[in-house]
Amino acid sequence: MRILIIEDEKPLADEIEQFLKKEHYQCDTVYTGMEASEMLAVNLYDFVLIDIGLPDYYGLDLIKEAKSYNSEAYFIVITARGELEDKLKGFDYGADDYLAKPFSLLELHSRLQAITRRKFGQNKSEIKFGEFVINIDKRLLKHANESVDLTQKEFDLLSYLILNKGRTLDRLQLTEHIWGGFYEEDYDSNYIDVHIKNIRKKLSKHSEANHIKTVRGLGYKFDK
Amino acid sequence: MTFPKTKLKTQLTLINAFSKIVIIIIAVFVLPWIVKKISIQEMDKQLIDKLDRVYELIEQMGIKQFIDIENSPTGFGSYNILKEEYVSIEVSTDTVLNEYIESTQRIIDNEIFDYRVISANFEYDHYYYLLEIGQSTAAITLFEKNLRNFTFIFLVLVLTLSIIFDMTVTQVLLRPFEMIIKNLKKNNHPSNFNYSVTKTTTSDFRYLEDNIHHLMKRIEEIFNEEREYIGNISHEILTPISIIRSKLENFSANTNLEEDDAIKIYETKVTLGRLTKLVRSLLLLSRIENREYLTNENIDINQLVESVLNEIQDRITVKSIRSKTELCSKIYLLKGNKELAHIMIYNLIYNAIRYTPEGGEIQIITSTDNQTFFFEIKDNGIGIPEDKLPYIFDRFKKFQSGNNNFGLGLALVKKICDYHNIKIDVKSKPQKGSTFRLYFPPM
Repeated sequence: MRILIIEDEKPLADEIEQFLKKEHYQCDTVYTGMEASEMLAVNLYDFVLIDIGLPDYYGLDLIKEAKSYNSEAYFIVITARGELEDKLKGFDYGADDYLAKPFSLLELHSRLQAITRRKFGQNKSEIKFGEFVINIDKRLLKHANESVDLTQKEFDLLSYLILNKGRTLDRLQLTEHIWGGFYEEDYDSNYIDVHIKNIRKKLSKHSEANHIKTVRGLGYKFDK
Repeated sequence: MTFPKTKLKTQLTLINAFSKIVIIIIAVFVLPWIVKKISIQEMDKQLIDKLDRVYELIEQMGIKQFIDIENSPTGFGSYNILKEEYVSIEVSTDTVLNEYIESTQRIIDNEIFDYRVISANFEYDHYYYLLEIGQSTAAITLFEKNLRNFTFIFLVLVLTLSIIFDMTVTQVLLRPFEMIIKNLKKNNHPSNFNYSVTKTTTSDFRYLEDNIHHLMKRIEEIFNEEREYIGNISHEILTPISIIRSKLENFSANTNLEEDDAIKIYETKVTLGRLTKLVRSLLLLSRIENREYLTNENIDINQLVESVLNEIQDRITVKSIRSKTELCSKIYLLKGNKELAHIMIYNLIYNAIRYTPEGGEIQIITSTDNQTFFFEIKDNGIGIPEDKLPYIFDRFKKFQSGNNNFGLGLALVKKICDYHNIKIDVKSKPQKGSTFRLYFPPM
């Protein structure tokens, strides 16, 4: 997967690049709209991550322009404004997803994964663990052809853990993922624990194996 | 003492009418009075003349022609037929010589007449006589009455005409002023002010309007600067937060971290999350204060409540809270901003959930009270002490320590309510629970 990162804040751009490289993305990073415009004219990208608050270029114009060269690319807009208007406008201009600063790198990864699954068909969205099969996009969890009933949030939590298996996800990341948390007043860590407890209970009815490990003081981890 | 505020036009008309009524009153009462005074003065002069002429007659003809004191002292009296005038001479018991004029009544042939009477005590051949010459004042009284009536009718007519005239002229003169005021009233935000120039020949109005336009432009500029400033601040603060956050995440992905260090990084992230939330809430508040949100959507409140409940249901379930919802069968549409209305309802319900213990109960109602549509959320949570109630909508107030609460949630609710002319009412008893009620403006 080839990705172009357009972000005028160099430290942020570098962190994003470092993270995505670890996740085996092929990254190009530029810090100005002009450079981005050149890169987009020459190269073909799968993803373009673009900060619409660029000082030298109106980000949404850049998407419009880039669409003419890179019609296959998916555009993810980063904004610090967090305004709904920008969000809607972003989609109008052909942005495929939207992240408000400050965003979690894991969340970015999860959005990229979602787009990838959409792009390359349904096969990859089916994941096996133990005696269970989970289909992320169809939102189904099955144990030996018998479907396991999870609530919407429980499913979101479980799939997020599975998609990041082997990695510890702290409660904050989990809360943010399933909740978005736009007008959240506080962050209630207990909330995630209750959900995990319920998921474990539902899974244990079918299988003894405990796939979700508790990481003391942090959160949870899905074991391989 | 305060007077109700009225329009300039009304005030001018009132003052005008008042001054004219004063003139009428003065004219109706004072004018006839002055005329009467003058007439009586004139009459007095005539009476003095007549007295002199009677004296002359007595000198020429002798007193005996009028009154024979030795033979028949009955006195002398002479009237003209209509009793408008009379002369009488009789013997006087008074020995003081004097002359005076007075208005008095006389009974003549069993009829009472008003007279102006000159009385004179004089001496003639060692006897004292009282001479009276009277002149009827009926004519003057009648004239006075007629004058009063006439003046009244005339002035009322003149007054009516002049008030109509004044009003028309005032109306025409003040029309530019009224238009300027109307334009100001119509305007709710400098950015949609109508800068069209009102036609006027009055320099004061021209000056006034020019100045209003100038000030409005200035406010609009400041406003836009402020808006840009808020946008920039948002960017300036959220970008560094974003950098810190990404660095922390990359750092914590390092699997060689000691457990304690990992926890510390996590805690830092949580704190950073609080900061983010704080900045976002403050930005939201500023944007509302800056009136950046359009209020042109029709929002079905019942539908909104249902959608928020749907979104928040998970929180209710996790806390094993029983929730009861009763929605009004009547549809109420709020003209406002959907995003803000959502935040308002969300924050209120979320607040109720947060302060209700596990297994508690919340109740959500939409209904009408005296034609007023309202939304109510009731919980049986910890409640708010009475002395704290007035402060719950203030920013950064929190009454429970150790809670990661910035106290902006309710401040936001209040701001959004004010923005939409929604009245918010709170009732609360400690340990019993709180009830928040929103009274919506008429549709």
